[in-house]
Amino acid sequence: MDFQELTINMGPQHPSTHGVLFLQLKLDGEVIVDCQPHIGYLHRSIEKIAESRSLVQFMPFTDRLDYIASMNNNLGFCLAAEKLLGITASPRAQYLRVIVAELNRVASHLLAIGTFAQDLGAYATPLFYALRDREKIIQIFDKICGQRLTYNYLRIGGVAGDLPAGADQLIKDFMAYQRRILPEYHDLLTGNVIFCARSKNIGVLPKETAINYGVTGPNLRASGVAWDLRKDEPYLVYDKFDFNVVTGANGDSWDRYDVRMREIEESLKIIEQALGGLPEGDPVAKVNKVFRLNGEAYMRTENPRGELGFYIVGDGGPLPYRLKVRSPSFANLSVLSAMIKGMNISDAVCVLGSLDIVMGEIDR
Amino acid sequence: MCQKVYDIVAGVVSILKGLGVTGKNMFRKAVTIEYPFEKPAMTARFRGLVDLHPEQCIACSQCVKICPTAALQLEATTNPETRKKFPGVFTYNEELCCFCGLCQEVCPTAAIYLNQCYEVAYYRHDDLVKIDLLKADKYVHLAPPKVKELRP
Amino acid sequence: MNIPWLALLSLLLKGVAILAFFAVNAMFLIWLERKISAKIQNRLGPMVVGPHGALQLIADTVKLLLKENIVPAEADRLIWWLAPFFVAVPTVAAFLCIPFSQEWIVADLNVGILFICSITSLCVLGVFMAGWGSNNKYSLLGGMRSAAQIVSYEVPLLLSVLVVIMEAGTLSMQGIVHAQELGWFCLKPNVLLAFLIYMISATAEVNRVPFDIPEAESELVSGYHTEYSGMKFSMFFLAEYANLFIISAVAATLFLGGWLGPLRPSVFWFLIKVYGIISFLMWIRWTLPRVRMDQMMSFAWKVLTPLALINVLVTGWLLAGKG
Repeated sequence: MDFQELTINMGPQHPSTHGVLFLQLKLDGEVIVDCQPHIGYLHRSIEKIAESRSLVQFMPFTDRLDYIASMNNNLGFCLAAEKLLGITASPRAQYLRVIVAELNRVASHLLAIGTFAQDLGAYATPLFYALRDREKIIQIFDKICGQRLTYNYLRIGGVAGDLPAGADQLIKDFMAYQRRILPEYHDLLTGNVIFCARSKNIGVLPKETAINYGVTGPNLRASGVAWDLRKDEPYLVYDKFDFNVVTGANGDSWDRYDVRMREIEESLKIIEQALGGLPEGDPVAKVNKVFRLNGEAYMRTENPRGELGFYIVGDGGPLPYRLKVRSPSFANLSVLSAMIKGMNISDAVCVLGSLDIVMGEIDR
Repeated sequence: MCQKVYDIVAGVVSILKGLGVTGKNMFRKAVTIEYPFEKPAMTARFRGLVDLHPEQCIACSQCVKICPTAALQLEATTNPETRKKFPGVFTYNEELCCFCGLCQEVCPTAAIYLNQCYEVAYYRHDDLVKIDLLKADKYVHLAPPKVKELRP
Repeated sequence: MNIPWLALLSLLLKGVAILAFFAVNAMFLIWLERKISAKIQNRLGPMVVGPHGALQLIADTVKLLLKENIVPAEADRLIWWLAPFFVAVPTVAAFLCIPFSQEWIVADLNVGILFICSITSLCVLGVFMAGWGSNNKYSLLGGMRSAAQIVSYEVPLLLSVLVVIMEAGTLSMQGIVHAQELGWFCLKPNVLLAFLIYMISATAEVNRVPFDIPEAESELVSGYHTEYSGMKFSMFFLAEYANLFIISAVAATLFLGGWLGPLRPSVFWFLIKVYGIISFLMWIRWTLPRVRMDQMMSFAWKVLTPLALINVLVTGWLLAGKG
């Protein structure tokens, strides 16, 4: 008999590739023999654009990198620029940054959990619950900065505006609500027998492989490496807060899901402490300053998806000579083809969903 | 054997728990609204389309300089009597605009601002790329009708 | 020659009635599904066309009818064209033997349940034809999955039906209903087990969550009907919901006493039971994730089939003890 491999092009238009990812799969029956990810369908040359924009002008573009967690991208870029310019934001601005960054981490993890469940075939329901709860965070952001997705809230040296009246109460309400609603996710997904059967021991990512490929964030922590930049290289005021670095045991898809679930609780803890210790002062920064960029700076921060680094090189003018983004999803995606060889399609979809990639920051 | 029976029972229980969650949610109020018929109110800081108070504008071009996408075009004119600058031509390209709100932040006289319009679709491309900010009735067709508070 | 005009006419009318019920029922079920899913997900669901979107499906049907019928290049045309009919026609035919009440049944065959079980298994042909004829890799994978799934779940399904047949001592649908006049079959423990096995395998038969593997959206886009559009797609769609009605109607008849019930007309009781089962299946659909292909197959062959076989043996032993 003659056997032949079947090549299917999964994406760039496919319900479960999280954007415009194109996976070229070679199948033997339903078993994947080879996987070749192709990227570049969402390329907007953001790094090149940065070379013709001043630092203030580039801020809205960072929103479009990882559009699920715009605040965290704002933060990473802001801190890199501040490191280059030697500016420190006021304490109140730093606390506000922590609050919005952690809120956005919760929103991003909620979406990751929802889409992961969707990839496992839980028809839309967990995703809708996640969107429903994320909507509350988005409404808080809408009140704080006036947009729902591309916030452009942080400024070099501060933030765009102080907390509006009533926003702190909204955040407190949200935290109470989220703590009340999280057990529902556990009942619906965490312990569900089908969910466990589909995700436990599927796509095990060993510690060494994860480190070799540069995987970061919840995916790395699920493999058992307690590496969290908020703890290991504290920036802003993260060293003042009490929170745990959540790790998983096996590094399988279920662990990656579980780490995100528990990180939501840790983030809520941080928000609670930051909101309680919010210092007085003026957090608002002036925007129309002209900066001269000299030298170079690299700053990495803990994005919901992993380690987000901004590398800015200046040549004395107001525009950066070069700006490089180290995006976590790119490294996290690169490990995919090593992980899914020998699996069948259903498991590959599960692994891809558990890695939680965002094409916006892979293609940039 | 015992372990197997336990697994089966635990599996059934977990499925029933899941059904309980969805069953409970069946009796919650819907969080969505019937969009085109009822519209959510925008927040005070909402960043919609760029708008202008022409009488306050001193044509300093700060907004044009800060705009990351070059969506604004301004030609300053000087009043021969008072020797004050005012905008002669001020157009806005909505297609390029990324609604970042930087123009509003740099404006020294609070002349340029982002309004509350969020339904920003046009039928003709020409209408979209050259919006005359000096005209008073430029967004009349976008005025939001009846508004309903989003449920918390 | 003496042609029985009257009998022919009445048969024709019954056929028309069945077709009308097929369409109206599918529309109602689609509306119900959308509303239940919306309720579960804290949404509103269709609200615009008609009161609470009740007429939404008419608008959708008109849209589907007006759509262009796209035949994929290199498709196996004959097979591709025939596939939707192979799925829809057996489904309509199965309605013939559904007892809505004592009088409301088109043909009370003395092999009624056998007829339903055998004719609904024909659907797999249509599904596989659709998968093969589309000349699309996703469709082919979906068709192959579907064939494997339906064939393997047929076995526990028939074994669980066999238990009821043994209890009732007849293959006629009305006969099975009458046999339950003293008490529904599902009150007996062995038939209750058969009921559970039947419901699980029937859910797999009609490709619903958690067994919607053939049309797994996140994996295979839409499985065997990926390439279909317009009226051909809606035939698959209608057949899917009609199949859902049939498995629930069979479940109600075999295990829940069919149209038996006090006071109200029997049609009412029958529909209450059927739509109750359907609503429960929808509730499950919008709650659970999907199982994997190999997990599902091993569940069918390693758990359900042995369990159903043992159940048949136990039932036989019990009945022999009685007789």
